[in-house]
Amino acid sequence: MAAEPTREWSDEQLKSDDLPKKDIIKFLQDNAANSFLAEHKLMGNIKNVAKTAKKEQLITAYNQLFESKRFKGTDPVEDITEQVKDVKVDDKPKEVKVDPVDEGPPKYTRSVLKKGDKVNFPKKGDTVSCWYTGTLEDGTVFDTNIPTAARKKKQAKPLSFKVGVGRVIRGWDEALLTMSKGETARLEIEPEWAYGKKGQPDSKIPPNAKLIFEVELVSID
Amino acid sequence: MALDQLNDMVQRCQVLQDDNFKPEDYELFQTAGKACIEQGDSGLLLDIIKDEKNKAIVRSMGWNLLSPLVQVLLKKKDKSLPHCLDILTHLLEECSAKELLVGLLEQVEEAHPDTIADTICLLLQPLQTVLLKLGMKKASSVGMALSTLLSQVARLPVPYTEEQEQEDAYGLCRCCTALLVFVRPFVEEVETEQPKADAQDDELRTELLKFCMKSLREPLIEAQLKIDPDTPENPALRSFAVEVVTILWRIGEGLPDLLFRHLLKKKEEPGFLEEDVRYPKESLACLAYMLFVQHITVERFPAIYSPVFILQSNMEHINLLLSRTEESRLAKGLDLYEKSLVRVEDGSLPVELLELKIFFSVPGNLVKVMTLCPIQHLRTKGLSVFQLSIDKFDTEAKYKFFKCMLKTSNHAGVEGYIIKNIRNQIEHALKAGNGNPWFLGLHLMPLLRVVLSLPQGPETDLLQGLDRVMESLTLLRYLLIRDKEWENETGIWTELYKIEDYYLKPLRIGLNMSRAHYEAELKSIKENRRVKARELKENSPVCSVTVGNEKLPNMTPEMQLQVLNSALCTFDLMESVLVRIEELADVKIKP
Repeated sequence: MAAEPTREWSDEQLKSDDLPKKDIIKFLQDNAANSFLAEHKLMGNIKNVAKTAKKEQLITAYNQLFESKRFKGTDPVEDITEQVKDVKVDDKPKEVKVDPVDEGPPKYTRSVLKKGDKVNFPKKGDTVSCWYTGTLEDGTVFDTNIPTAARKKKQAKPLSFKVGVGRVIRGWDEALLTMSKGETARLEIEPEWAYGKKGQPDSKIPPNAKLIFEVELVSID
Repeated sequence: MALDQLNDMVQRCQVLQDDNFKPEDYELFQTAGKACIEQGDSGLLLDIIKDEKNKAIVRSMGWNLLSPLVQVLLKKKDKSLPHCLDILTHLLEECSAKELLVGLLEQVEEAHPDTIADTICLLLQPLQTVLLKLGMKKASSVGMALSTLLSQVARLPVPYTEEQEQEDAYGLCRCCTALLVFVRPFVEEVETEQPKADAQDDELRTELLKFCMKSLREPLIEAQLKIDPDTPENPALRSFAVEVVTILWRIGEGLPDLLFRHLLKKKEEPGFLEEDVRYPKESLACLAYMLFVQHITVERFPAIYSPVFILQSNMEHINLLLSRTEESRLAKGLDLYEKSLVRVEDGSLPVELLELKIFFSVPGNLVKVMTLCPIQHLRTKGLSVFQLSIDKFDTEAKYKFFKCMLKTSNHAGVEGYIIKNIRNQIEHALKAGNGNPWFLGLHLMPLLRVVLSLPQGPETDLLQGLDRVMESLTLLRYLLIRDKEWENETGIWTELYKIEDYYLKPLRIGLNMSRAHYEAELKSIKENRRVKARELKENSPVCSVTVGNEKLPNMTPEMQLQVLNSALCTFDLMESVLVRIEELADVKIKP
């Protein structure tokens, strides 16, 4: 761990107008632990911090830093993250950068049961809401969020998730991006883009199962 | 005597208008009533209370009798029991619900530690009656009641074994079962409401949510929730767990929202509750455990999430559980990590995940469990989960993970284990068709340089770092034998002269120094054996070591000899591998 930094400025110097805010911020960012900076909202571009922080706040932070001695390297987690950052793969050979492997055609098919508005398509990262029913090839329903009892209908909410960012199985992620608002589609997803050779025993999906979903895209936010 | 006093007082008060009672009257009613109950005159007391003329008096003062009544009712065998029950029932009908509520909760709060369970089981039904009488204004009262009840329940020891759970000596399981009956009407009310009907129901919903969250933390996180496949019925605490999760669903708290909420954008919740108070992290971690490990209500959980996402989300919960020291939490953390990993295919986790801090915090805590946890089966399990987590990374991620762990784990055993893993990866990569740029050739050398290093040069403590040194030497020997010089797939042969300089030579020096030191020590002990034995008897030792309050005896000279000898054996072992490596290297250097 590096030696503790010394106080560069006295209280008078800190208060004087000759010392710009930027210098204090720079000193703090160079010397204080990340958690300390975060607590005092001093992370980020110096210019931006200078805009948001008042001089008094900076002086307080400066004094607190020396009182609490939370200098850089005193955070246990920070230590690790710093070291992790250091571990960069050296001499990265250029030829490693190969083009993404051509995976062939999509491992799902989609047939439209009810047309959507064909105007609003979700983009990656949008939150979509759907009603759905999932069945196996033999017709077993393994999951649905469509309520059966009329009483429960009022309470039921469609399933919402961020699309295209790996939160759901690949077949869903890819297929939903091709659907428009209001559309109902039947998706047949090959195991490679569903739960693969492991299946999902907890949810009664056997290994290497092809999954069939009926999905209604209710809304896009 | 007391009865007469009570009769006098009652007659005096019957004529008063508008409940214009004096404080003395209240006091008299309470002391005289109490005396009646305690002296077994509850039958006569019942008559007074039921007297239509005394209705106003009972309505104002009746609740003061709760305390003595509860005392008698708890005894169960008292002959006045039926009368006391009747009095209680009558009070529940006549008195003001608010006063009764306060009175009843007071009884729960003041229960003697030995009678907590009995008191709760006795008073839940009356409490429910009183709360239901409050009608639309009950939400905050329900909340107050649930919070008081759970705080008392939390004082009961949680059964550890199945037998203890069946025996239920402290009554925790009874209380949990009774609590479920208690909350049922309130859950039903919230469930059947129209969405966004009014603030009242939302408040009740919030109170029930608090109840579920609190139950997850205490007692459920402490509980063994496993099912025995031979018994058809769920053990009591597991049933409680199932019901708590079901209540969450029924009051509209979807499990995906609860479990993933730390990954989703933090939305400001309406109302005064802060996020962490409304959804305590530990409760959510317990919930994740119940869903993914115990499969409680898993059938209602959407089966469309990707296993990697579930793992990523669970990492927060796992980290929280593994950062604790209690067996119940650690075991749950390990189980949850294992189950989350098992869902993922081997070699599929991409290196990008390692950019998330949590993917290093969890292994960091796992290493602590593996190396510091006093409970053997958790250490063993920790190691197996650690290996499982390694297996799930893809090649590049493994590479990066190994490198980081070697730099951060600070434990020779863990480092040795990582090095063994590196050897396995190289072995795998050398097989036909498995070649990859990470464990062969260019990238491998930087990793090997991290492996083959002596942090303090020749002065490195070789005994302390034994596991690491041995695995490093074994790896080096393996490479020299397996990878032929003319193939040099690993690049070891071109690096060899450097390795000799920065690793083998300092190690040789260190080994010779250590051996010389220990041999000298051994010799001096042997020579001074008699002198020292005498000294030991005469002089009291400079310091003593205690382990778990047990004082360890001082080492006898025989023990010291044993330790020194075993150290020398270790050096022999190290040297034998080192010599073999030197031989293999010589072949290259000589011709």
